Amino acid sequence: MTLNLFHLILQVAVILVAARVVGFLFQKINQPQVMGEMVAGILLGPSLLGWLAPGISTALFPAASMGYLNALSQVGLVVFMFVVGLALNPTELHGYGHAAVLTSHVSIVAPFCLGGLTALYLYPRLSDDGVTFTGFALFMGAAMSITAFPVLARILTERGLVRSRMGSLAIACAAVDDITGWCILAYIVVLVRVTHAVRPAWVTIGGSIAYVLIMLFVVRRFLPAFERAYSKRGRLSDNLLAVIVVLVLASALATEWLGIHLLFGAFLMGAIMPKTQEFTHYLLHKFESVTVVLLLPLFFAFTGLRTRIGVGGGGAIWLYSAIVIVVAITGKLGGSMFAARLAGMPWREAASLGILMNTRGLMELVILNIGLDIGVISPAMFSIMVLMALVTTFMTTPLLEWVYPARLFMAQVDELQKNVA
Amino acid sequence: MLGLLGILEAGRGIAPPLAVGGEWVVEFGSGSAGCSSGLAGLRQPALNISQSGTQAIVTLNDGHATSLNALIDGPDLTAKWLRATIAGKPGERTLQGEMTFAGCAPVAFRAVRQAARKGGE
Repeated sequence: MTLNLFHLILQVAVILVAARVVGFLFQKINQPQVMGEMVAGILLGPSLLGWLAPGISTALFPAASMGYLNALSQVGLVVFMFVVGLALNPTELHGYGHAAVLTSHVSIVAPFCLGGLTALYLYPRLSDDGVTFTGFALFMGAAMSITAFPVLARILTERGLVRSRMGSLAIACAAVDDITGWCILAYIVVLVRVTHAVRPAWVTIGGSIAYVLIMLFVVRRFLPAFERAYSKRGRLSDNLLAVIVVLVLASALATEWLGIHLLFGAFLMGAIMPKTQEFTHYLLHKFESVTVVLLLPLFFAFTGLRTRIGVGGGGAIWLYSAIVIVVAITGKLGGSMFAARLAGMPWREAASLGILMNTRGLMELVILNIGLDIGVISPAMFSIMVLMALVTTFMTTPLLEWVYPARLFMAQVDELQKNVA
Repeated sequence: MLGLLGILEAGRGIAPPLAVGGEWVVEFGSGSAGCSSGLAGLRQPALNISQSGTQAIVTLNDGHATSLNALIDGPDLTAKWLRATIAGKPGERTLQGEMTFAGCAPVAFRAVRQAARKGGE
């Protein structure tokens, strides 16, 4: 066994153990498992292990082996983004009327503008002249606007809120936010990459438009065939599952070649898949297990290895972190809450919706890694934003329990059932 | 939209620190021949700089990945054993200055950036 393969397998084993143990501990304090897995990744990086035991850290995660870990985590992300796209159903927004439209729009615009405003302060302190202010400000805006749709869905399911009016509204708004956020991010990636791109800007822009049109009006027309095959036998053959994987990979490769990012292709492939409940559940079940159990923890660990919370930069870094966290919460939680209240929701439900929309979770980590890869944010800015993602995700469950206790929700359900009876 | 356009317009006037992040190929001056301790085992690209605004971490490609914190102030890059002046546009940036290795006289160097910062590590 070569040294690199030995290292990789050892790394995977250590990461999986850390993810499961910390995830279990976080579940004990009523946090979603994924929150613990994200923290486990950070703990394995320079923020804790590298700081406490630099020798062990270097031996376990030598710089030369990072390429393999990154490649594996990227494969995991491609499948995960397909799963996220698959689970999204923007048509869910229909039927929630004014509240949903207003909340979803304000929950993007408010944090986006506040993110741009914060960029005025942070750009001369944490960026450099290799990045334009426009790219930096738009990225900050997009990173502040995102909602972690998968984590949100998991929190709502665990609390039994998924079928409540507020829960359904939160999922619908998060779906719209994610689609908008990814579109904005695609634009930023093109904007930043065009200056250093191998191919001309018109190829990237024209190719991207052509790609989206082909996906929506050509590829999408053939996808119901998978659904029909599933309906006939109650399952898909291994060959058909392999075809779906190949389609995901081809779509990812197309967007990477165009200069957007391979994750957009995987996400769009998932988003245009047929949305019948049974078919979606079947595919989610097929693809989710390996991704969630094996590959996502690798991505969290890779993110953790790039994150240096509190390492270097002195007290100023903590000040910048505090500013970013306050701005992120004000924009997302505050914006969504006031918009929902304005649309006629009671204060308690409006505040709960704001708290849920403020969950950034791993979608934020995905976006931040893209930002660091294309060089639009610096390593310190990356660490600050990772900290913000962890804080806003961690605060969701306790804050929701405080504002909208489970007993209150259950009492409302009981009352509703009595009225129906 | 108007608010966002206002922010983008206001940001255009802001001057950020000069970008030095990335890998650098270093050429040492003629005085380096007598100083083998610091330069022995140095492979190209000899410097890797990870930058966050005015703060940077300079890592020497000497097999031990010796690194130190540096400060960027205008066109000056200053660290414990390195002093350099930053010149050129972001795409054609160069460093010119001197490094001081233990037990050696300062060694003049000129460095050319190979790749802009990517990934920060």
